[in-house]
Amino acid sequence: MNTPTNGLASDAAKRPKDRRLVSSYWLITPGALWMLLFLVVPILMMVYVSFWTQTTFSIEPTLTTQSWENFFSSETYVGALWTTLRIWLIVLAATLVVGYPTALFVGLFVKNKTLSTVLLVLCVIPFWTSFLIRVLAWRPMLGKEGAINILLQALHITSTPIEALLFSELSVVIGMTQIYCVFMVGPIAFMLGRIDPNVIEAARDLGASFWRIFRTVILPLSMPGVVVGAIFVSVMVLGEFATAAALSGRKTNLLGNIIVIQVGSLKWAFAAVAGVVLTALMGLVVASLLRIVDLRREL
Amino acid sequence: MVSGAQVDLRSRSQPAESALCLEGVTRRYANNVVLDAISLSLPSNEYVSLLGPSGSGKTVLLRLIAGFEVPDAGRITMGGKRIDDVAAHRRGIGFVFQNFALFPHLNVFDNIAFGLVHGEGAARIDRPPGRARVADMIALVGLNGLERRGVHEISGGQRQRVALARTMVTQPRLVLLDEPLGALDANLRARMREELRNLRERLGVTFLHVTGSETEALAMGDHVIVLDRGRISQFDVPDAIYSRPATPEVARSLNCYNLFTGQSGADGFSCTHALFATSRVKVKCAQPTYAIRHDLISFAPQEETSLPDRTGLLAKFVTSEYSGSTIRHFFKVGTGQIVEVENHLSHRRPADLEPGRAYSLTWAVDDAVVFG
Repeated sequence: MNTPTNGLASDAAKRPKDRRLVSSYWLITPGALWMLLFLVVPILMMVYVSFWTQTTFSIEPTLTTQSWENFFSSETYVGALWTTLRIWLIVLAATLVVGYPTALFVGLFVKNKTLSTVLLVLCVIPFWTSFLIRVLAWRPMLGKEGAINILLQALHITSTPIEALLFSELSVVIGMTQIYCVFMVGPIAFMLGRIDPNVIEAARDLGASFWRIFRTVILPLSMPGVVVGAIFVSVMVLGEFATAAALSGRKTNLLGNIIVIQVGSLKWAFAAVAGVVLTALMGLVVASLLRIVDLRREL
Repeated sequence: MVSGAQVDLRSRSQPAESALCLEGVTRRYANNVVLDAISLSLPSNEYVSLLGPSGSGKTVLLRLIAGFEVPDAGRITMGGKRIDDVAAHRRGIGFVFQNFALFPHLNVFDNIAFGLVHGEGAARIDRPPGRARVADMIALVGLNGLERRGVHEISGGQRQRVALARTMVTQPRLVLLDEPLGALDANLRARMREELRNLRERLGVTFLHVTGSETEALAMGDHVIVLDRGRISQFDVPDAIYSRPATPEVARSLNCYNLFTGQSGADGFSCTHALFATSRVKVKCAQPTYAIRHDLISFAPQEETSLPDRTGLLAKFVTSEYSGSTIRHFFKVGTGQIVEVENHLSHRRPADLEPGRAYSLTWAVDDAVVFG
């Protein structure tokens, strides 16, 4: 506290402010309660259940690490973990490669605000169709007798149909990139749109070439957008199971697919282990992405 | 602007050497002529202010000189060499943006060093002279100790200095400043005026300072260019601009003249409600206008008899505006036009004026500027 002389005065001045702050905590009570009941408790429950004893048809609350040992000693499950990581990285890279130039065009080169909004809305169009229709529509496109193979053969680029296009990891990557690309484009375009055009003009006036300006001004200033986009894409891709199931012909198993299968066969403890691993993985990915840029400072 | 205005662009004390020449520079947007055949010769090693109302084309003129835009016609030369088709960064011209346009992700040092690190023939910074030049510039603008600060962690005045240093480090021969004090608060603006003038003197280059404020233009410029509707109305030293505006538009943009339109004849200048005596001196102009400065008018109760060599009119007192050292009185003449009278309070006590009462406003015949 302060010196005795002004200690009393500052106490008196502080009190009403404190009271207002305390009473404002009521505002977050509904949200906090909701999250506690439906997010924190289920997550803790999941961790708890992952240590229960799993028998063929039932589960008992006797604590054991058996499910965890089984998970990490099984080639299928560890393989699914690696597949998840691989597909996540490939899709992340693909959305960045496809999304960044798009965002650059929409956010920086289109000067008309209305046009750039229209272009962003165009990116959202895939979401106007239902997930099932969207994913199924890929089949006649990528299939053995699909549009792409017919076109390639008609142009005599290939003689036999490329089978790897559908029901493979490639088709999963193609499908996911298409669906999640907009989550990369949006935040990056937003950050690029906030760059003061004078700053770029100033860099040009100081003699920097286009690539220099891109590398030293545009890219660093758009990094918060890249990180936010990457977090969106990562969280969604890591938790994916439907696209993988529909486009890989159940050949590509992600952690999400493992959980679906285990729950389907009432292996709750196993599903819980996979769930904990997946949740931990997401937390790790988001935390490390946030380390790249101090979002509090940038946004 | 009126076509009849004959403007002598080299009326006084024009130095022989010039930093930049414009000949017939024209810029159009669609069918709109923004700059109409601007010809201009900027003296070297001087502070030149460019005054114009918004929409006069002053920012476009600056961007043309900088090389951000290309003129539709005309020549721009520097030291005898044409620069219209030279890229902006190779012209040897620096540009200070209105909002400073600092790189928000770089600290003070890296902002100032940007032109040396990333400019053409890059990596000049790694050589000791480059680093020393940045350090010299930081010392020159008085930013020592702030090198590692982010540009959002310094004050507005310091940001202004970073913007200037960032441009100066590339050693331009001419620096263009686009309303450089516009983003600062009034207090700081007054201090930065002096600082900018001093800095320019130490650097020995030409500054072309665009502003919409007549007081700023007059206070800062060794010469003042007045731009109106895409043409140069006057280019002269500040006191000549102030006391002898070349066109009614210049007088209007100075914001210190009462202007009356009417007819100029042998017996004087007649407008709707008055006939002013005129001296022989007249500025040629297609639109006859009579201009008298706010601070050259004196007023007296109506009954007083007029003195020789003075002219004037009758007007009703409306209100006064007190602003410390000066007081402005507003009078209304029969046409509804407001006539402003400015009194400096160090010279006299504020007068007791009665709203609605008629007073006779008078001024010396020779003090008026007559266009006709």
